[in-house]
Amino acid sequence: MNPSANNRTEQMEIDASAKWPVLVFFAYGLGWLLLGGIMQLAAAMQLHSPGFLAGCEWTTHGRLAPAAQNALVYGWGMNAAFAFGLWLMARLSATTLRHGGWLFIAAKFWNTGVALGVGGILAGYSTSFELLEMPRFVSLLLLAAYALVGVWAITTFSIRNTENVYASQWYVFGAAFWFPWLYAIAQVMLFKAPVRGVLQPVVNAWYVHGLYNLWFVPMALAAAYYFLPKLLGKPVSNYYLASLAFWWLVVTSAFAGGSRLIGAPVPVWIPTMGIAANILVVVGVIIIAINLFGTLSGRFEAARSSLTLRFILISIVSFILAAVMNLALSMRGFAATVQFTLLDGLRDWLTFYACFSTAMFGAAYFILPRLTGKEWRSGALIKLHFGATALGVLLMVVGLTYAGWTQGNMLNNAAMPFTDITKAMSFWFAFRTVVLGLLLLGHVAFLLNFVWIACPINSQSTASATLRTPPALSLEGHA
Amino acid sequence: MSANDSNFRAEQSAGSDDSIQQVHAQLQKQKPEKTDGYSMLPLVLLGLMCCAVFFGSIYLAHFSLRFDPLVYSEHANREKPGAVKVVALTRAQMGKKVFDITCIACHQANGLGVPGQYPPLIASEWVTGSEERLVRIVLHGLNGPITVEGKEYNNVMAPLGAALKDEQIANVLSYVRASWGNTASEVTPETVAKVRADTAGRNSYWTAAELLKLGN
Amino acid sequence: MKNGLALFLGVFATLALSWAGLLLTAHKQIGSLSQFKDPADETLYPQPLSGLANQGRLVYQDLGCVSCHTQQVRQQGFGNDLAEGRKWGERGSYARDYIRDETVLIGQNRIGPDLRNVGSRLGDAKAEEYAQWFYKLLYAPQSVAAGTNMPAHPFLFDVHPVAGRQPSPHALMLPSKFAPGPGREVVPTSRAIALVAYLQSLKDTYDYPIERSRNTPAPKEAGH
Repeated sequence: MNPSANNRTEQMEIDASAKWPVLVFFAYGLGWLLLGGIMQLAAAMQLHSPGFLAGCEWTTHGRLAPAAQNALVYGWGMNAAFAFGLWLMARLSATTLRHGGWLFIAAKFWNTGVALGVGGILAGYSTSFELLEMPRFVSLLLLAAYALVGVWAITTFSIRNTENVYASQWYVFGAAFWFPWLYAIAQVMLFKAPVRGVLQPVVNAWYVHGLYNLWFVPMALAAAYYFLPKLLGKPVSNYYLASLAFWWLVVTSAFAGGSRLIGAPVPVWIPTMGIAANILVVVGVIIIAINLFGTLSGRFEAARSSLTLRFILISIVSFILAAVMNLALSMRGFAATVQFTLLDGLRDWLTFYACFSTAMFGAAYFILPRLTGKEWRSGALIKLHFGATALGVLLMVVGLTYAGWTQGNMLNNAAMPFTDITKAMSFWFAFRTVVLGLLLLGHVAFLLNFVWIACPINSQSTASATLRTPPALSLEGHA
Repeated sequence: MSANDSNFRAEQSAGSDDSIQQVHAQLQKQKPEKTDGYSMLPLVLLGLMCCAVFFGSIYLAHFSLRFDPLVYSEHANREKPGAVKVVALTRAQMGKKVFDITCIACHQANGLGVPGQYPPLIASEWVTGSEERLVRIVLHGLNGPITVEGKEYNNVMAPLGAALKDEQIANVLSYVRASWGNTASEVTPETVAKVRADTAGRNSYWTAAELLKLGN
Repeated sequence: MKNGLALFLGVFATLALSWAGLLLTAHKQIGSLSQFKDPADETLYPQPLSGLANQGRLVYQDLGCVSCHTQQVRQQGFGNDLAEGRKWGERGSYARDYIRDETVLIGQNRIGPDLRNVGSRLGDAKAEEYAQWFYKLLYAPQSVAAGTNMPAHPFLFDVHPVAGRQPSPHALMLPSKFAPGPGREVVPTSRAIALVAYLQSLKDTYDYPIERSRNTPAPKEAGH
């Protein structure tokens, strides 16, 4: 038997079994990306044009901004992560995704829950806790939907045909458990049996930090660890350090939530513990950087010409940048100035958008031709998407860093009246709106390409993809 | 990369999933061969880890302030709880609260009163003078003309003996006697209790004339 | 790691450790913080919110005010919240201040000012005057704070003609630029009244002696 032909058949079977669940999750995700993006743009406009949509109760800023955030995180973020995580687990476990029909139900439940949640926020049932604003009743629906997805991922893992467990699988496996635990515990401690007083913000900070660093970041890292060797044909550099990095990173990140509460009226050991954890996180980040940049070294040209790897590169750099920002925001002196400003919001944006979302875009550009058997129809739209994303990330990082620093200094200048601060910041609020609009443009381009490649009717005229069997990775030349 | 059309042709993989897993599993077990520049890595990392743990622990120990649940400022006093004298509130400090509720309406927050209507408490001979006389006024109220700092006032001050406890009267009087430049002594609850007992039968307002006749 | 079980145990331990280390310990410490009884006037602080103010808290939550406003005054020496000019409070906020709030929304963004002591910001103004200021801020923010980016909340008010009814005692006294036009008045709805009652209840004036003594900065001679 020809081993490579066998390989190919297996892979085609796996991809075929995963096709419809993954496409459905991606479709929902992109829908939310667009809707959430529009809501986010509107909310951003309200910061410098407060009259915009202010007359209607449903679109007042205090409801629109959290609704947009939830739509993006639970709508786009989670759906994309489900799609990617399920596909990756299936591929790396070398087994098909069984009984995928249940996953349609999960997708339906999940997205109904998110729709009810976002609608609930707009209707005034917000709980006002960051990323937990969705009304209480939605949480059961979401957990039930997640249970289906999570069980699928874990079962696929447990019936794996491979002897070995690769790094990406550790990250997806961990994330699969951490999210429901984080979510369920937060729901219980804040809504079912609410804790007293300032413990509520402590639970909230633990949840938010956990969601970003134990769900979204692992997904992005799983993508990086998979696509680098996959597309460069070279093993990960210093791979023996990867498991150390994994454990170090997740254990320290789990404790770092307190760093969001510097200066807050909570016992001072809580932010201190978060700060100490952020100092330790740096070591894990350094090892992962060694792994990933080591793999890239000598292969930068190949990486730059690969669409997926260009996105992954942005993702990795943003991961490191986010860790640096977390560390900087943990320095009390710096935090005293830039807390509560645009810079604070940038930290989370870096993790969620610049690190996670770009990784998902890169993954999608790789996965979708393999699932659908079609090529991407428009190179121009791809260029637009990548260009908008890269430029948007750069502008956002540089612009909001400077803006946040200025805003913080003004806030701490006790002699400056608050309305003067608002006037001075209106340029930066407008800047942020423009950059968000640019990113949205890129997403529209991506959605169009997605429709052309994935929707059965629209993709009839799209060219079929020719995918060769990949060679085996070799140890030679591994330096 | 040359032509434009290669932009949207699906990328080819450079390694099969199988081999990725096998190769990396092997790599996990074996350290790379010792070539120049790589033998340093584990040592450097070890050094980094130790530094991070060291600095992290020092930071945690220094700024957690004994894990005290009631400390919110990292600049707070770091001595042990026993060593720090619990700053006990003086009578005057506790009396401010009573003043703010009971006396402020007429005598005003700045103790200046209202000219022609309510006498001032600043540098008032009635306030800084005899303790017992002052307690009597508070307990049973004051009616009729009274001269304070050379000016005459003719109004009614309600009795507060029933509304305020001895402790509260002592505190508020200590407060007025120590505020706005006044530097008279504290009034103790015992003094208040004594005056209360002495004037137990009385249920009418004092007049200034009566009090002056009583002396101290 | 080949063993799925070992992986699972590690994954479990990661979260369990952080939950226990951060949340459980914090809960043991301040999970049952109670009111403090002032020795002088024998009152418990913080005093609970009135029913109307509690309803207002729900309106605060529903309208998402926390997206732009914080409710945490930082301690002396960290930022400038207490300095003259800003004066967002007499003292930094303590944990005990928040036990009277069923939902504690300390906030993350200062697109607008901190609100923890907004109930005592207008000094000696009488309650009704103060309430008027809040109503105007909510109905037409530009009328009391020119240049602000706070959105208007006209849906919290009822604009109707005065003819045929008693002019309402709560009617907003707006400058002509923002007034609804001749013969019409702007009256707060019950949600606005509750919200303003809540905002007026936001004042942490009591100075807890224990917290104050524990949070005073270390004397310089003691060194670091």
